[in-house]
Amino acid sequence: MSKKIHIDELTRVEGHGGIEIFLKDGRVQDVKFNIFEGPRFFEHAIKSVYYDKIPDITRRICAICTASHSLASIGAIENAFDLKVTPQTETLRDLLIHGEMIESHALHVFMLALPDFLGFPDAIHMASKHMDAVKSALELKKTGNLIHTALSGREVHGMNDRVGGFSKIPTVKQLEDIKDYLVKVKPTTELAVKLLAGFELPSYNHSDNILMAIDPGERFGFLGDSVLVSNGSVFPQSDYEKLTNEIVVQHSYAKHSRYQGKPFMVGALPRVQLCYKKLEGTAAELYKENKDKVRQGNSISNNIAQAIELVHSVDRAYDVIESLLSSGLEQESLVEFDVYASRGVNAVEAPRGLLYHDYTFDDSGAILKSNIITPTAQNAANIEKDARVIAENLLGKPDEEVKQALEIMARAYDPCISCSVHLVHL
Amino acid sequence: MNKPKLGIFSLTGCGGDQLQILNMEDQLLDLVSRFDIVDFQEGSSRKEEGPIDISFVEGTVSTEHDLKKLKEIRARSKIVIALGNCAIEGCIQAMRNGETSLRERLKDVYGVDENFFDAKLSKPITDYIDVEFSIPGCPIEKEETLRAITSLLHGDSPPYYSYPVCVECKLNEYPCVITEYGLPCLGPVVRAGCEARCPGLELDCIGCRGPVEGAENFSAEYKMLLDLGYSKKDIMNRLRVFSGELSEDFLGGVEDE
Repeated sequence: MSKKIHIDELTRVEGHGGIEIFLKDGRVQDVKFNIFEGPRFFEHAIKSVYYDKIPDITRRICAICTASHSLASIGAIENAFDLKVTPQTETLRDLLIHGEMIESHALHVFMLALPDFLGFPDAIHMASKHMDAVKSALELKKTGNLIHTALSGREVHGMNDRVGGFSKIPTVKQLEDIKDYLVKVKPTTELAVKLLAGFELPSYNHSDNILMAIDPGERFGFLGDSVLVSNGSVFPQSDYEKLTNEIVVQHSYAKHSRYQGKPFMVGALPRVQLCYKKLEGTAAELYKENKDKVRQGNSISNNIAQAIELVHSVDRAYDVIESLLSSGLEQESLVEFDVYASRGVNAVEAPRGLLYHDYTFDDSGAILKSNIITPTAQNAANIEKDARVIAENLLGKPDEEVKQALEIMARAYDPCISCSVHLVHL
Repeated sequence: MNKPKLGIFSLTGCGGDQLQILNMEDQLLDLVSRFDIVDFQEGSSRKEEGPIDISFVEGTVSTEHDLKKLKEIRARSKIVIALGNCAIEGCIQAMRNGETSLRERLKDVYGVDENFFDAKLSKPITDYIDVEFSIPGCPIEKEETLRAITSLLHGDSPPYYSYPVCVECKLNEYPCVITEYGLPCLGPVVRAGCEARCPGLELDCIGCRGPVEGAENFSAEYKMLLDLGYSKKDIMNRLRVFSGELSEDFLGGVEDE
């Protein structure tokens, strides 16, 4: 006998996707993570576009990861033309990416993921019982947006972060205000960890995961030049194709990735799991207290890993601002450089995992071809793997129970489906 | 009085316009308390069938699924508001319309000869349905959207900008980035309402609020940029990002001169 369990459209995720489970004679026959967000063909659109407009286009691939796309794009261009930015620019970019983590993780942890665990359809209904938590979460999210706005020019699709630096540096007043906000919202980040630690991690999705994350250097972070794999391998970012091996699958506009023939996971869980030794202060303490809840074999622990990163990013943003204010900011002009026929690759940790931009330019500095690989595209095969495990473990249970488990699992990846649908140039 | 029923929908796009609604952190809880939100896929698992008073729709129609959804939204909504550049002008996914076919794009990006998906050439929603109002931008401006929502709650029309970015740039007394730095600013042909944010940061306006009504001076802009030394291809790429096929209409064949 054949049967299908079908989630038409996942809710509380960015973009449009669903899950189908095909059962036959009491066994799971097939599993599909369907992505029906329409294709947007970014790699096609940017052909012939001059380098200076590329980040303005590619940062629009995604709203919630706009800073990550900006920095991946700008970095790939700078790598292509061998451009070195100033230490101040590096610091400001680090602050920008922490701002995006705060905004995006606050939204995901409190508004999208927590309602599942507290039994509400959304944060608005959750507010009826937990008004204080929802209000503090909005304040936390706003703090991330203030950082984003001070550096990139606005909350979504900024313009101030450019190839070679920042057009205008943030004002002292802006940075001081943000510092006050960071102090105010720090307890909210700890609350996020505490709330999530209070729930038993479901076991229905338990299965081994290969993890990948950027090597952030000495301190925990989201920018770097090489990629760590949980089997101990390290790859330079320019070798990303060896890690992602994309294939087109018919049920999805997002291509699927395999590493050594197997699905793998990117995101907060891989970052925390692979780099926990680099966490500092409160984030390190909270990780230690809750490390049994951050499990390599349980993708749902991505939620608490995000909460730990929230603690880290708020602390780190505070430190960065304090050092900027004490050393004093200087309005610098964008670094000048020559264009020539070249190729550049750059990897960045977006809130939901590794993101790669790869551009090839002609001698005038216009794009010949490009390749953009988003975290959700890399996670798609792993989400299908988990969906299969859930379907097998919950075989015979009511459909509603299976569907709820599938939604909680998929949502934990914080998928960004819009991002994932315009992939690789073959 | 019953609260108006509100739907927030997205078709194909980056999700940035509904994110801007979520980004109104200071007003969000008050705002949502004024409405009965019956559909908001990105924010809630709750869905209610039946008529809707006001529907916000962001994104382009890029699949048959998008088109079916859009027609259903229109059929059940009293007021439909096109939210953002995708819904109004088609944005980046429509940037190459008129230049390349869907078939070429599928081949180029996915390496397939057949449209085994249900993809369509991306078009703004206004190509398929009538809308009562539009809120422009990539993304929409929070202030403008808030004012639009407030106006609607009072039975009034949302704000509308019939003049270009240059007007706001002058009112803010920013130096002109065209005359001062020779930047390829699109401010003269682009809808205002952003307080000339980019020129304020000493950057050129890239046109994210779409062409200003009429956009009679598109060809003048084009010629000015040619005179500044930008190539035809470069200028067209810049104009096309947020006005897609419209660029050619507004240019009225000047490109071939």
